[in-house]
Amino acid sequence: MNPLREGLATRSVPQACTVVIFGATGDLTMRKLIPAIYNLAADGELPPAVTVVGFARRPKTDEEFRKEQEEATRKFSRQTVRDEIWNGFAQALFYHQSEFHDAAGYKSLAERLEKIDRERGTGGNRLFYLAVAPDQFEPIVKNLKEAGLNKAREGSWARVIVEKPFGTDLASARELNQIVHHAFAEDQTYRIDHFLGKETAQNILVLRFANAIFEPLWNSRYLDHIQITAAETLGVENRAGYYEGAGALRDMVQNHLLQLLCLVAMEPPTDLGADSIRDEKVKIVRSLRRMTREAIVENVVRGQYAEGAINGKPVPGYRSEKGVKPDSKTETFVALRVRVDDWRLADVPIYIRVGKRLPKSGTEISVHFKKAPQVLFNKESVSLDQNVLVIRIQPDEGISLRMQAKMPGTTFRIEPVKMDFHYGTSFGKASPEAYERLLLDAMSGDATLFARRDEVEEAWAFIDPLEEAWVAKENQPGLFEYPAGSWGPEEADELLARDGRAWRRL
Amino acid sequence: MPVEIGKIDRELKKLWAEAGGAMTRASLINLAIYSEAPGSLPQNTEIIFKITEDHACRAIVIGANPGAPENRVEAWISAHCHVSRAGSKQICSEQLSFLLEGPSAKLLPNIVFSQLDSDLPLYLWWQGEFHHPMDAQLWAWVDRVIYDSQAWSNFGTQLGRVEAAQAEAKQRIVLCDLNWTRLVQFRLALAQFFDHPSSHHRFNEIESVEIDFAPGYRSTAMLLAGWLASQLRWTLEKDSNGNSLVFRNQAAREIRVNSQEKAGEPISRVGLKCNSIEYRVTHAPKADLLKVTVEGSNAERKCLMPAGSNDPVRLMSEELMRGGPHSVYLRSMNAVRNLL
Ligand SMILES: NC(=O)c1ccc[n+]([C@@H]2O[C@H](COP(=O)([O-])OP(=O)(O)OC[C@H]3O[C@@H](n4cnc5c(N)ncnc54)[C@H](OP(=O)(O)O)[C@@H]3O)[C@@H](O)[C@H]2O)c1
Repeated sequence: MNPLREGLATRSVPQACTVVIFGATGDLTMRKLIPAIYNLAADGELPPAVTVVGFARRPKTDEEFRKEQEEATRKFSRQTVRDEIWNGFAQALFYHQSEFHDAAGYKSLAERLEKIDRERGTGGNRLFYLAVAPDQFEPIVKNLKEAGLNKAREGSWARVIVEKPFGTDLASARELNQIVHHAFAEDQTYRIDHFLGKETAQNILVLRFANAIFEPLWNSRYLDHIQITAAETLGVENRAGYYEGAGALRDMVQNHLLQLLCLVAMEPPTDLGADSIRDEKVKIVRSLRRMTREAIVENVVRGQYAEGAINGKPVPGYRSEKGVKPDSKTETFVALRVRVDDWRLADVPIYIRVGKRLPKSGTEISVHFKKAPQVLFNKESVSLDQNVLVIRIQPDEGISLRMQAKMPGTTFRIEPVKMDFHYGTSFGKASPEAYERLLLDAMSGDATLFARRDEVEEAWAFIDPLEEAWVAKENQPGLFEYPAGSWGPEEADELLARDGRAWRRL
Repeated sequence: MPVEIGKIDRELKKLWAEAGGAMTRASLINLAIYSEAPGSLPQNTEIIFKITEDHACRAIVIGANPGAPENRVEAWISAHCHVSRAGSKQICSEQLSFLLEGPSAKLLPNIVFSQLDSDLPLYLWWQGEFHHPMDAQLWAWVDRVIYDSQAWSNFGTQLGRVEAAQAEAKQRIVLCDLNWTRLVQFRLALAQFFDHPSSHHRFNEIESVEIDFAPGYRSTAMLLAGWLASQLRWTLEKDSNGNSLVFRNQAAREIRVNSQEKAGEPISRVGLKCNSIEYRVTHAPKADLLKVTVEGSNAERKCLMPAGSNDPVRLMSEELMRGGPHSVYLRSMNAVRNLL
């Protein structure tokens, strides 16, 4: 421990290192990674020695690479780029040209990293960021190993960050994990799920375990059900190439939404260590009730958007989007009713829905409590509403609680009212971007907000049967159309209506 | 808007009602500011307006003149609104202002108590010097007291009073010294030199420390020296005083701490020398970035880090954002309290 840090650090302190970004001229690097590292540097959060080496195939000088990244950062950075800070920061950016599968490129990379260690004081620490498609993992990881870059020397570390999509099913996820594992041990591997970097996702644990009033009620005795919604107004945009092969279930549910589900459903961890938290999370994924073909038809609804309107403007249907097959069966919407078979949440159904081209963008979790016994009020007239606790992940992060209150003047007319807490209102300081937070965590060796191997594989084990059912020859569950700008197909509403419930209005 | 004290609650309600749904009221703390400086009310109102941009609070601003011959009590209410970052909503904090003259200045505790936003912590920003005796009734309610020891005429006397209040409050109050807050960015810049475990052996090699401070900021420099001493376990040599101090580390090695007055930012330069390496942090006049350098036998490394600002709004914002129990402050201050 550095005694001078006492009382100063508001989080674990990152260590000086070289960040090697594979795919350094790609979209992710330009829009997210370099702006995030720049913002961290400008806020004084990074050790000054932190150095970035971009790895890609086109020939380019360091200077050209810096210019290119400067333009992108000016466009995408959270705070305005200041010349004097950028100029210093740019000196820490280097470009390394090589094909991913060219072993010689890694030898020269190793030499370069040694030189950087000597000149910039990065102490032999390396963070390899694979900002590339998963089919490139293999050559990269293999060559890193061959060049001896997967092992750090005594007293320093080597870590690897991998991006989503982490596999397309259990088999491919296992294979990817195996590929990475050949060179990097699990505790060197950081699988990014940027949802976990969001302030409100982190706040779920605080809300649940730092407040004594919720936890006693957080079980099947008092909970009626839970809903998790991730809605966006956007269509497939220019990602058809990827999306056609993925669909909403793989793109959003397998990773982000199951992660949120874990956070609302897990037991309190024994401590805040990365593995203690992830141990509890993986128990939840493991307890997800697996579905038979019949259960899938009954509990899962797939949809695809047809022509419609968003914000009053007409938009085309999914099959007419650029890069989409005219007879595409890819789902852009999915709704599920899932069960967590553990002691706490047995009999508490969890409804998940995610979709593109919905009327509104927003991600939230709503926890619906059982109704109060209807013996005193409104006995004959309308029934009492449930208490609902809503955790808004984005936008307008916050928490609200719906309760019953008496209307003034009437005898006992009861109406729901909402207690609402908005992050943006109470805390003026803007939250850092998810990528900033996650990069810092990886540099300081804190894996709490990264998905562990077993979490990812268990999640695929749950998802696989659903995907298989959809391509099965017989008894294939339907794919329902919904007009763009609606809340998904009617069948999704029926999924809840059958249980006497309805989706929460966003 | 001037109001009768007994009707403040009602008037506040009216104020929010008139705004309709266009404004959202927000509050995380009760922030009471007490000042006896003439003309403090408008100045503090200006400060509160800026603080509320980042820290929603109920502000209770008190201008007092206990020495005035006539008794006078007046009150006003107002709202400070800012457009929220998240959207187009107006986020508003309310301010209650009081002018207390003559014997009615004694009403301070009562006024503060009756206007608190319930359940929220009470931060008391005491501008200027504390008087004897400290009002026990008031201190029992305060969660954090904020003061700036830099302006104290006699550190020992003032601190004695704070400690008396603290004893009264059973050590529950967190002491927040803006003079300590002034040092945050320098501390961060100095701490980062030693984050890498391979640099930890350098702590034992520190030979000397140089600190440049602006006229009036010797106490700030002393606090910084106290911080290094307490965190690195140096003890002050008995006959050490003035601007040239001698400490000894655990291995009995001597460390000289020299400070000198120099116009500019409160602290404009700190240098640590160990063997062949010099760590240096400098703050040029009015700059918002610190220059951070390491000079060694083989190379020089430079970077920029955010600098603090001596502006009361920035100091307060920094203090409100950091929170914490400030135990390092107490240790640092105790290491040099006889020099202050
Ligand atoms: N974009 C996003 O916002 C986003 C968000 C989440 C996850 N992701 C994931 O992140 C990964 C990267 O996405 P991206 O959008 O940044 O990809 P991209 O824009 O297509 O960039 C690909 C990068 O890889 C380099 N590259 C490709 N093949 C190479 C080879 N054989 N040898 C050397 N370099 C090669 C390219 O370098 P050259 O320019 O030199 O050819 C380019 O820098 C994908 O897995 C994606 O799913 C992206």
